[in-house]
Amino acid sequence: MPHHRLAPLSFLLLPLGLYLVWVIYPTFATMVLAFTNWDGISPSYDWVGFTNFERLFGDRVFWRSLANNVRWVAVFVTIPLALGLSLALALNRNVRFDRFLKIAYYLPMVLAFVVIGLVWAWIYHPRQGLINSTLFSLLSVAQSLGFDVNPAAARRIGWLGDPNLAMWSIIAAAPWQHVGYVMILYLAGLKTVNTELLDAGQVDGASPWQLFRYVTFPQLAPVTTIVLVITVIQSLRAFDLVYVMTRGGPFNSSNVLANFMYIEAFMNYNMGYGAAIAVVLFLISVGFIAIYLYRVVQQEER
Amino acid sequence: MRRLVLILVWAGALLWLFPIAGAFVTSLRTQQDISANGFWSVPREISFDNYSQAWERGRVNRYLVNSFIITIPSIIGMLTLSSMSAYALVRFRFRLNRFLYFMFVAGMLLPFQILMLPVFQLSNRLGLYDTHLALILFHTAFQLGFCTFVLRNFLRTVPVSLFESAVIDGASEWTIYRRIGLPLILPAFAALATLEFTWVFNDYLWALVLLSSDRLKPVTAGLSTLMGQFVNDWPLIVSGSLLAAVPTLLVFFALQRYFIEGLTMGATKG
Amino acid sequence: MRRIVSISLTTLLVALLAWGAAQSGLLRYNSYMSDPAPRELDERIVELFMERYPDIRVEHSTVTHEDFKQALRTYLVASPPPDVLTWFAGERMRFFTRAGLIADITDVWTDNDWTDAYSAGAQAMSRDDGAFYFIPQSYYWWAVYYRTDIYEEVGLPIPETWDEFLANCRALDAAGYIPVTIGTRFRWPAGGWFDYLNMRVNGPDFHIRLLDGLESYESEEVRNTFAHWEQAIDAGCFIDNPSSYNWQEAAEFMVQREAGMYLMGQFIMDVVPEEEQAHFDFFRFPIIDPDMPIGEDAPTDGWFISANAANMENATLFAEFLGSREVAEMWARDLGRLVLRTDIDTSIYTDTQRKGAELLQSADYIAQFYDRDTPEELADRGMDAFVEFMANPGALDRILADLQREAERVFAARE
Repeated sequence: MPHHRLAPLSFLLLPLGLYLVWVIYPTFATMVLAFTNWDGISPSYDWVGFTNFERLFGDRVFWRSLANNVRWVAVFVTIPLALGLSLALALNRNVRFDRFLKIAYYLPMVLAFVVIGLVWAWIYHPRQGLINSTLFSLLSVAQSLGFDVNPAAARRIGWLGDPNLAMWSIIAAAPWQHVGYVMILYLAGLKTVNTELLDAGQVDGASPWQLFRYVTFPQLAPVTTIVLVITVIQSLRAFDLVYVMTRGGPFNSSNVLANFMYIEAFMNYNMGYGAAIAVVLFLISVGFIAIYLYRVVQQEER
Repeated sequence: MRRLVLILVWAGALLWLFPIAGAFVTSLRTQQDISANGFWSVPREISFDNYSQAWERGRVNRYLVNSFIITIPSIIGMLTLSSMSAYALVRFRFRLNRFLYFMFVAGMLLPFQILMLPVFQLSNRLGLYDTHLALILFHTAFQLGFCTFVLRNFLRTVPVSLFESAVIDGASEWTIYRRIGLPLILPAFAALATLEFTWVFNDYLWALVLLSSDRLKPVTAGLSTLMGQFVNDWPLIVSGSLLAAVPTLLVFFALQRYFIEGLTMGATKG
Repeated sequence: MRRIVSISLTTLLVALLAWGAAQSGLLRYNSYMSDPAPRELDERIVELFMERYPDIRVEHSTVTHEDFKQALRTYLVASPPPDVLTWFAGERMRFFTRAGLIADITDVWTDNDWTDAYSAGAQAMSRDDGAFYFIPQSYYWWAVYYRTDIYEEVGLPIPETWDEFLANCRALDAAGYIPVTIGTRFRWPAGGWFDYLNMRVNGPDFHIRLLDGLESYESEEVRNTFAHWEQAIDAGCFIDNPSSYNWQEAAEFMVQREAGMYLMGQFIMDVVPEEEQAHFDFFRFPIIDPDMPIGEDAPTDGWFISANAANMENATLFAEFLGSREVAEMWARDLGRLVLRTDIDTSIYTDTQRKGAELLQSADYIAQFYDRDTPEELADRGMDAFVEFMANPGALDRILADLQREAERVFAARE
């Protein structure tokens, strides 16, 4: 690599400038705002030290939102990972119509979250929705066969309106969108798996499970790390689905940090408080960003 | 065993397509029909009326145009700029090289909500609030992280000798970038462009924060207006949603190969 | 490469030019009237204005009510902000006048003799610190809407007392109807229930003191309010899972003849199809403590001009038009609202409007609405609390303790 002084600068000036102005500066600006009581409107504000953070840690809505983010991570990491990996393994062999199958799984990925949110809001609608309509029809059939059931009860299930169900209903829509992505990453990863080792294992009489457990899966470790990091980051960023489907309701039972922050900052005129939430969200993410960077370094030095 | 797996995979695929298929069937029916007879009844009539309603009265036609006005310049901008930064990071050795690279990677993983308030203020102060340009600039800048990351890693696989021979010929760095760098990056461009198209096209949050005029809204934000306008009419709302998804679906089907390449390129070539 | 750069530069330039060119002869009007009927009228008013002033092009943006409330702050601090915006009179307006974001339109008021034309109440709602900031559009009553045909079928009297109301709930429930529909997805309909119960149980005076932070949510009085609310829940009054529905979807249960009653503002009729309207009537929210003065909710809506409006002259013309008798009559005639001008011949009122106007005239106190009478960020927590209470009455102690803590914080920060 040549040593230059001006050439890198001439290439980097424009992209870096734009990046600094629109990404790096705003990140730090938010951190500063978190220590003020600015309402987003007034020309001036006061420095309030850690007041916003103290209030945040005593705020039930914050803990509720954080717990929901953790739930989101838990579901979002396990289900898409297990399903995506299984699908990749199943479709990595010669399967008829594999293109159709793959498309079916990753089609939801190209849809906007708003579209997904709206489509699922319809699916969950108590009276006109897909799920309750289906239950209603099934129960009606059962009733006509003489069973003692009340089909009307099926129309009363509030998937998004019941505080005990709302969060899970939203989270259920998320893997629908994410499984295809994980599958693609693993399919790509499987192409790099050393087939000689697999053949050798087969000759030695290893079971398919043993082959997977001791040969394939360890070789997929880099993909798994990436999938985990991306998935966790995405769970922490989760916003659109919640915003479109429930706005965090009923009474914050389906709130997540990003939505909480949006509501405090843009609806309740608490810019400082909203910024404090953003900073906490950022600090949580930093750990995962660090893992990612560490892996990047590791690979480059190999 | 093999057969069981196949059955499961097929069942799963159908289940996966079901929400979209169900939404499509609903979009062809009328509100009264569905609320009176439920989803599983035989439709009394099938019509594309909901689509034409959403298209014209719901103004999806105009919102879609806005989406393109925002998306296309953003993609051109981010690809142009990131190819420059990626080239610099690969070609030159300088003190902050690794630091800058980390900065770009960290930016792509940032919970972007943290940027919301200052980005709003910034675009406001620059007189860009409620213009497409604000969204274009922001998308370009924010996606620079991911694009630079991908292109840099892509360029690193190019043998150094390719560049060196040009240096010996006395070409300037900008010439090398244009004559050798860019043509090499081209395949990665295609992959990135398709992927970024869906991301930028599907953005909702930033349109919410940076635009206030109805005539400027992209289709994602327009859908929320549509929802207010036809409040109880789910078939119509679903029709609008499906219309909004058409461009990304077309891009996806036409450029599937690149789309998937883009996804895997960013994640596994780290 | 050079082509790519020139294409992006051209796009940039075109975008900038288009933005610049749009500034002359323009008026930007942002409205929350997104329901079909008000939207239609809103658009008709804009068209009429453009006919009168052909040089002015009104750029009219409509977003949903809920989105508007959220976006308003960004609208107003943007440069330039929209010129004219829909909003609520009273405290919700004063929040922005204090921040210097609403234009003083005292001149418009005096030049057009609005100080004579508008009722004293409307003037008070439009003022802050002696200056006028607001153009009142209309107001409307809140009441319990009910389906006359269901009431007839079940043979129910119009309830005047709380016990009669609960008895009606039980009877409707037994007859297989949903006694009371309510959609709390966006929470505020629950605020209406709190307003009425609290005013009926503790009187409007206590209610306003509570909303001003002078009484405690943990007081015996407030607990008594919630005790009455719980009686209604126990009597099976409310629909299951109210938070599954927005207010319009909840109204659909009445339209479909499945629900008997709905505590709602007059604008409920905006979403009732014409052929069903004959089956809708309303009655005053039942009296709980006959010794208490009667308070009613009757919010005033209208418009204001941004302090930093880029097209101030056009905005002023539009404001004069919006506040004119002609436009005020349109709201009364086409949407059944009540006018705030005293110089209007009330013979244009229908019987329904006359009944609504009487309901308000016989009240001792007119409140705006929960989220208009108490600070916005507290209302946010308060309405969450009401919705949570409806789903989980057993958690009342914790809910009220949380709410009171928020109230103390919010009012302390205002000092």
